[in-house]
Amino acid sequence: MSPTLITILSVAFITFMTRYLFLEEKLPLRLGPNISQLLSFSGPAVLTAIFIPILFFNNNSIDISISNAYLWGGVGAIAAAYKTKNVYWTIACGGILFIGVGIYF
Amino acid sequence: MLPLSLAVLPFGVLFGSLAIQKGFTWLEGQLFSVIIFSGAVQLVTVELVAENTPFVALLFMALVVSSRHFLYGLRLRDRLSTQSVRWRIGLGFLMTDELFAFSNHRRSYASKYRLYYALGAGGSFYVAWNIWTAMGIFAGVALPDLSNLGLDFAVAAVFIALVIPEVKTVPTLVCVLASATSSLLFLFYGFELGLIASAGIGMLCGYGMQRVRS
Repeated sequence: MSPTLITILSVAFITFMTRYLFLEEKLPLRLGPNISQLLSFSGPAVLTAIFIPILFFNNNSIDISISNAYLWGGVGAIAAAYKTKNVYWTIACGGILFIGVGIYF
Repeated sequence: MLPLSLAVLPFGVLFGSLAIQKGFTWLEGQLFSVIIFSGAVQLVTVELVAENTPFVALLFMALVVSSRHFLYGLRLRDRLSTQSVRWRIGLGFLMTDELFAFSNHRRSYASKYRLYYALGAGGSFYVAWNIWTAMGIFAGVALPDLSNLGLDFAVAAVFIALVIPEVKTVPTLVCVLASATSSLLFLFYGFELGLIASAGIGMLCGYGMQRVRS
């Protein structure tokens, strides 16, 4: 096997284990109501922590200038998501602002 | 789930073309999406391999980027751990950020019908992700650098579309704002574990707010 193949297989194994581990019934673990309530916030918390760096981090530094098209696009996407709650509108409005500002600057 | 499958087209294309640019064969590039099936992990791995990162460091980074899945598993444990091993392996493998966000319904996975529904949603997302990857591989072979086109903005937009409609209560708003603020702080200080740390802070703040209000 080539080193690349071994790398891909190993990373696939790690990714799968992180997904599967807590679904395993034999794992001796019971979650109380407090932990369950805490975990109910995991979706919004994780997704926010993923998209914020994409909007703010460009060319290896934090960019909060008005020429940062990602920020403009992000604001547009947030406004559209809030108004329409629709994936297509969110991407369309965000994308148009993102491309528009990118062309302008 | 169909809107999400279409919405990750730019992300898939970005990954496929990047794999080719960084010197992977088309087969290797496709294999990433076939057996790993996680955009963030795949992008990080491709970058790190191209930078000749030591194997152990690379595995550690894959674990760090993937560690958010622990939270998803914990959250779904009550509903899925009692299902047969085939369901757990199948839905576990398909548990992307998108499928998890999609399964926030109170009765998700609670019946056979709901399980098949999730399998259909996750499975179609898997097929779409692999088609977009293949398109990116073709584009990467045929066209020069695609990574400066800002395709990663589409990734942010998809996640915004998943988060904002979920912000229906004050505790969730507090959770999102806390997660956003701390992720900026960790970014500023260059903290490698920023993603999972900010997620943890966001969750704690949301939970704290909920306790204060009830």
